[in-house]
Amino acid sequence: MARETSLLPVEDAREAALFFVVAALCFLAALAALSAKSTYGAARAWTAEVEGELTVTLQDVDRRAAEDARKLIEKTEGVRAAHLLTKEEIDELLEPNFGSRGLPDSLPLPQLIAVTADPGVADMAPTLQRELAEAGYDSAVDEHADWAGDVRRVLAITRLIALTAVALLASTAIAVIAFATHAALLARRDIVDVLHLSGARDRFIASLFERRFWILGLRAGSVGALMALGAVAAAIFAAKANAAHAGLLPDLSLDFTDLIVLVLTPITAGLAARLAARITVIRALKSVM
Amino acid sequence: MTLSRLDLFDDVAVRLDNVSLRYDTSDDILSGIDLTLKQGSFSFLTGASGAGKSSLLKLLYLALKPTKGEVSLFGRPTGRLARDQLSALRRRVGVVFQEFRLLDHLTAYENVALPLRVVGRKEADYRADVEELLTWVGLGKRLHARPSTLSGGEQQRVAIARAVVTQPDILIADEPTGNVDPEMGSRLMRLFLELNKRRGTTVIIATHDLGLVRQVEAPVYRLSNGLLVRDAEFGGSAAGRRRTDPAKAAD
Repeated sequence: MARETSLLPVEDAREAALFFVVAALCFLAALAALSAKSTYGAARAWTAEVEGELTVTLQDVDRRAAEDARKLIEKTEGVRAAHLLTKEEIDELLEPNFGSRGLPDSLPLPQLIAVTADPGVADMAPTLQRELAEAGYDSAVDEHADWAGDVRRVLAITRLIALTAVALLASTAIAVIAFATHAALLARRDIVDVLHLSGARDRFIASLFERRFWILGLRAGSVGALMALGAVAAAIFAAKANAAHAGLLPDLSLDFTDLIVLVLTPITAGLAARLAARITVIRALKSVM
Repeated sequence: MTLSRLDLFDDVAVRLDNVSLRYDTSDDILSGIDLTLKQGSFSFLTGASGAGKSSLLKLLYLALKPTKGEVSLFGRPTGRLARDQLSALRRRVGVVFQEFRLLDHLTAYENVALPLRVVGRKEADYRADVEELLTWVGLGKRLHARPSTLSGGEQQRVAIARAVVTQPDILIADEPTGNVDPEMGSRLMRLFLELNKRRGTTVIIATHDLGLVRQVEAPVYRLSNGLLVRDAEFGGSAAGRRRTDPAKAAD
C-alpha cells in the first residue's frame, strides 16, 4: 500500500534556509563543546603533570656538592625522587632560547635538581629550602604548582567561555527554530485551519510540525557535527604535521567522549527543534478557539 | 464530561442564546441572535452579501467565539468546554466552506479522506468509502487529481465530499452549489436531503440561490443588519411553489 502523503507540504525554500542556519549553529556549538572538553582535558593533564613537581636551584656549588644535596633531598619525607640534571639536559631545556648548540662552557650555570614529591604533601618547598639552608646550601626552590594555579584559572575561564558559547549557540538555534516554526505555521495557516475545523486535536496538529522539525534538526545537526568533525580532524592533522613546535598546545586527539559530543549534537538539535515546534504550535493554536 | 453518540437523542442540535459578534473595534456583525435547530432539521440561511452569514456559520462550526451570548451544540454550551472536547464536537460537524479550502498538495482522494485521517482511521478501512463517495459526486476518474487541476465545480464537489465523508451529525454548507451547474446542484441537494433523512443529519445551508431554497420545504432564516429573522415568505407555508419535503426527498 502506498505511503500516505504528509498533511504538511514538502519542505520549501524557507526550510532550506533554516536547514543551513541550524547546520551552521550546530557546527559552531559542536566545535565549542569540543573546545570546552579539550580545554578541560588539557587543564587536567597539565595540572596533573606539574602537581608535586619542584625544581631546586643551587648557586655556587660543584657537581659533587650538588649530588650530596640531591641525596639529602631524596631522604626528605614526602619526596619520591630527586634527579640532578646533566649539562645536556639543561642545554635541552634552554634550546628554545639559545639554539641547538647549547650554552658556552664559560657561562656559569646553577645546578638544577628536579624533585618529584607526593602531590598531597603541604609546604614541600619551604621544607626543602629549610633543610638545604641548614646543610649550608644557597638554594631556591620553585614549586611548579604555584604557576600551575594561574594556568588552571585561565583554563577554567576558557572552559567557562566555551560552555557559555555552547549554551548561547543552543539557545540561538532554539530561538531560530521557534521563529521558523511560527513562520511555517503562518504560511500554512490554511492547512492548520482545515485540520483544526475537521476536529484535529492540538496535539495532532503539533505532531505534524514536530515530526517535520525533528527531522530537519536531526539532518542539520548531523551536517553540523560532520563539519565539526572535519574541522577537528584538520586541526589534529595540522598539529601532528608540526608536532615539534606544538609543545604548548594541548594534546589534540579524538576520543570516545568527543564522538559522544558529535553524536549528541544532531540528537540535541532534533529534540530542540521538536520542542520549539511543539511549544510554538500549541501556543499559536491556543490563540484560536 | 464525555461526548458520545448518545447526545443524538438530545432534541436540540444547535442553540444560540442572545449571541452577538464583533471583530475588534467594529460594530456588532451579529446582534442578540437566538436560534434553536432541532436534531434532524433542515434549514436555509439567507441574507445579502456582508449580512454576516459566514460569521454566523463560523460560530456554528466553532471557528469563532461569540462576543456575547452562548453557542450550544447537542445541548452543550461550548464556551465552557475544554479544547479536546471542542475538537470532539467539531468532528461531528461537517463544513462545506465557500472558498472550498482544499489542500493543494493533496489529491482529491486525500482531501476527502483528511477528516478520517484526523480521527485516526486506517486507509484500508476507508479507501472504498472515499472512492465510492467521489464516484458518486462524479469524480471517480479524478481521484488522484490535485485541486489546482480541477475546475471550480469539481473542487466544490470534493469539498462537499470531504464534509460528508464522516457522516456528520450537523452539516453546514456555505453556498454549496455556487459553482456547479443546475443538474449537479440538484444532485448535491439530493445528497444533503438524503443525509438529512436517512441519518438525521441536521443540515444548515447558507445561500443566495433562492431557486435552491424554493426546491425544499424547509425553514429559511434571513440575516439583516445583524439580526436573524425567520423568513415568512419562504417559511414552508407559501403555496403554489414546487417544493421537496426533506422527509420525502431521498425516496
